[in-house]
Amino acid sequence: MRTLAQSLIAEERRAARDFTPASRAAFRVCEKLRAPLCTFAGAAGFRSLLSRALVLARVEAPLLAGVQINPDGAFQYSPEMEAQFASAEAAQAGAVLVDQLLGLLITFIGEALTLRLVHDVWPQTALKDPKSTGK
Amino acid sequence: MKNKSIVTSRARAEKPTAGAGKVTIRQLPTGVRGLDDILGGGLPEYSFNIIAGTPGCGKTTLAHQFVFANATPKRPALYFTVLGEPAIKMLRYQQQYSFFDEAKLNSCIRFINLTEVVVEQDLNAVLAEITRQVENSNAGVVVVDSFRTVLRKIAARNGDSEMELQSFIQRLAMLLTSFQATTFLIGEYTESEMRDNPVFTVADGLFWLSQVAERNSVVRKLQIIKLRGQASVPGLHTIRIGSYGVQAFSRTLGLGGRMTAARSGRRLSTGIDELDTLLGGGIPEGDSVLIAGPSGTGKSALATQFIDAGIRQGESGIIAIFEERPEGYTSRAAGLGLNLTKPQKAGKLEILYLRPLDLSVDETMQEILDAVKRTGAKRLVIDSLVGFEMALAPGPR
Repeated sequence: MRTLAQSLIAEERRAARDFTPASRAAFRVCEKLRAPLCTFAGAAGFRSLLSRALVLARVEAPLLAGVQINPDGAFQYSPEMEAQFASAEAAQAGAVLVDQLLGLLITFIGEALTLRLVHDVWPQTALKDPKSTGK
Repeated sequence: MKNKSIVTSRARAEKPTAGAGKVTIRQLPTGVRGLDDILGGGLPEYSFNIIAGTPGCGKTTLAHQFVFANATPKRPALYFTVLGEPAIKMLRYQQQYSFFDEAKLNSCIRFINLTEVVVEQDLNAVLAEITRQVENSNAGVVVVDSFRTVLRKIAARNGDSEMELQSFIQRLAMLLTSFQATTFLIGEYTESEMRDNPVFTVADGLFWLSQVAERNSVVRKLQIIKLRGQASVPGLHTIRIGSYGVQAFSRTLGLGGRMTAARSGRRLSTGIDELDTLLGGGIPEGDSVLIAGPSGTGKSALATQFIDAGIRQGESGIIAIFEERPEGYTSRAAGLGLNLTKPQKAGKLEILYLRPLDLSVDETMQEILDAVKRTGAKRLVIDSLVGFEMALAPGPR
């Protein structure tokens, strides 16, 4: 799912004409998944999934300790995190977070439904052969 | 009239797998012998389940077995206690069972007392505390015992308590599933409380435990009322609590989905040449045969000769008896010139005496199946069906 995560982040950056740092784009990917996930799991469910993804991602990307999730499911960043948004480490951390969120979705609803859901949000993103995006 | 049944053997099928792209739901072992078969292979991972029933049915023991079978240092189990039985008493009693492994305590299994949060604060605080503990521990298994106590907090209040209850349960279920925890909520419920209960609506699995009285016998029963995503064996299954903990006896004896072995067409000798001739060569392998007749007409003698003929051809056998002890049965066979002692010593024959009180039909059949598996028996005699029935339904004492 890392490849797909990076594709989605790149898509978000393109949409912002590359003015957005990769890390910001990654958080934007998560936020864009809010609508379909709220439909499937409710607002509390979206928050729970995002919280779990964040916990899992922190293992690989400790920088994400500076990110919290508000009760409404929105991200909240520490000043230290804000200061590092443009760094390569933050870009990497953002990709890990999206990767974990997509991985969780695959765990719960399977790859086919996850890719369909992603395609609904980013119809331009070529998913090609779903197997090529596997973990 | 006494009836005797002679039965021979069969084989097993594979489980289907999920199609490409579809989610594969892993099945976790329950740690309860017989229960995985009843559930259709095991408990779905990350499912949100309820164990309900009246006191003394084995709810807590069943949950402990699951916890001990699945908790690991990386994915520990959190056992939340709320009023009810405190952890110290649970530990005192549960360690009497063979599944209890004290080395797992604290490293793999952690007990957390939620009583103060439930009593002194609101449900949001309860949810926040569970969230905090699950997040911090990376728990793979969560048990709340007794969940009913948590719900009484809401029921005690007026107004929109039902909505509050539904919302709380839904948030709890989403939280625990999102955090990849397999959950058991334990509660004392009666059957009348099952209808319109939001807890049961949200649950993926509902395990109903009860005690059923039959004449002077009381038997514990388990029913899987619902289990999302997989086919469980319907109906009431007997459970028994012993030194091993809970054991379940499936109504299908774990044979559901097994392929019946192809009929060989072979004939098994009864040990009586003239009877074999009359039967066209003997009893067809795989058949069940009922020997009926009044007392003293030679039913047991014929059944014993059938077993003896098999042993002489190198086929192991089982004799399940209910009305007399194995020594008496062996000695009576000796009077007919049939030596049952030697094959018993050689492991080719088992005489099962099945007459303990309150043994259910499922337990009796499990004993027989275990013996068949143990010895590789090709021939089985049940002597007698009337004795079997009387052992299962003892009259008033």
